[in-house]
Amino acid sequence: MSFVPLALIAELTHRCPLHCVYCSNPVELQKSASELSTEEWNRVFQEAAALGSLHVHLTGGEPLARADLTRLIAGARAAGLYTNLITSGIGLSEKRLQELLGAGLEHIQLSFQHSREDAADAVAGTRSHALKVELARLIRKQPVAFTVNMVVHRQNLDYLEEILAFAEQLQPDRLEIANVQYYGWALPNRDFLLPTRGQVEKSIGMIAEAQERLRGKMRIDYVVPDFYARYPKACMGGWARRLILIDPAGRALPCHAASVIPGIEFEHVQRHSLEWIWRESAAFNKFRGEDWMAEPCRSCERRSQDFGGCRCQAFLLAGAANATDPVCSLSPFHAVVEKALQGSNRVSDNMHGRSPSSQTQPWSYRLNPR
Amino acid sequence: MPNPEDTSRPRLAAGCRWAETNANERTVLFPEGAIVIKGTGRDILEHCDGQRTFAQIVQELEALYTLTDVQKIRKEAGNFLAQLREKRIVDF
Repeated sequence: MSFVPLALIAELTHRCPLHCVYCSNPVELQKSASELSTEEWNRVFQEAAALGSLHVHLTGGEPLARADLTRLIAGARAAGLYTNLITSGIGLSEKRLQELLGAGLEHIQLSFQHSREDAADAVAGTRSHALKVELARLIRKQPVAFTVNMVVHRQNLDYLEEILAFAEQLQPDRLEIANVQYYGWALPNRDFLLPTRGQVEKSIGMIAEAQERLRGKMRIDYVVPDFYARYPKACMGGWARRLILIDPAGRALPCHAASVIPGIEFEHVQRHSLEWIWRESAAFNKFRGEDWMAEPCRSCERRSQDFGGCRCQAFLLAGAANATDPVCSLSPFHAVVEKALQGSNRVSDNMHGRSPSSQTQPWSYRLNPR
Repeated sequence: MPNPEDTSRPRLAAGCRWAETNANERTVLFPEGAIVIKGTGRDILEHCDGQRTFAQIVQELEALYTLTDVQKIRKEAGNFLAQLREKRIVDF
């Protein structure tokens, strides 16, 4: 079997000025003192390109918190990688934008939390929405591919029509509307975030209508919540099959969340070549192929399509990383998901559609690493 | 989406570019993806430099293939570029 890490996800830092309640970073954040140097990252970019990577997604935390971001973009481009910046925009000025583009930045993915300023700022735990709107206008004036990313959940899905109109007037080439996935900081906030069945069903119709209306003008990608799916998602295209993530401290992972799985030694790029980590390391081979699968995956005809779903979710919800992803209707642990959905649909009448600040129960905000 | 006009100057869209070349195929990189382009598609797209007009491109392709059916080339190249524009890989 020969897998190629088509994309490299570079978590340049876990520092971030925002505190989003659904942040996909692990709860155990890497400290700023342990971050890889410019030279180390640039070597990683060369190694990834040699392994066949085409894209690098520069992310965090907030990648703009790295003072050397311009040099990292230049290094990634020198390696031949397509450079995408995934950012909240905080830390970007017109001058810095010019520098990043001058270094070869090709695609900017700017995140939003809501169409409304107060609700957006409440999710981010800081004032940021108005600045993002301003930045979107600056970015749109530049010859760069521009994606607006909007995370949706129970608290904002009732505003989807308004959110679509808001995103449209920012004129991105692409709009990514992604339901929260329950890893990292989102898991403890799940009861606030998990949408109702009615919200999900309605959203699918509204998105389909917008996709048709805006065809050729703005591409819309919709990530539906897997809790409502019959079968699990092929998470990351399968464990260590298509993507490699390097965390701020140089630890190589197959996805954003895998560090939660106990008993796996994820290797560091300071000590091993990326090629060895990708091809040979125990961690990357752990859930490749099908030998690790338990029933009902092992004999399921869908096993080569979804690979049994997400290993991290299996661990988080079923306590076993090799179990069938509990979102699968065939999983023996599916009751866990059913229970969460029942809770979400029961309290729906009096909870959703309000900004978090109007709620009595607190959110847990993402903290910052020291 | 309509096909390009004679005076259109097709080019790769912002944020899209060619990756490395080999003998038979080339790859165009775009946000979140890549597309392998070979054969006539490659010939068409390599002419789309934002300088040449669509009419010039058709003319040059005609010379390249020594075909007389200009209308066929115009239609097929036009359809191909319109498809890529819908994917936001080409602009004109």
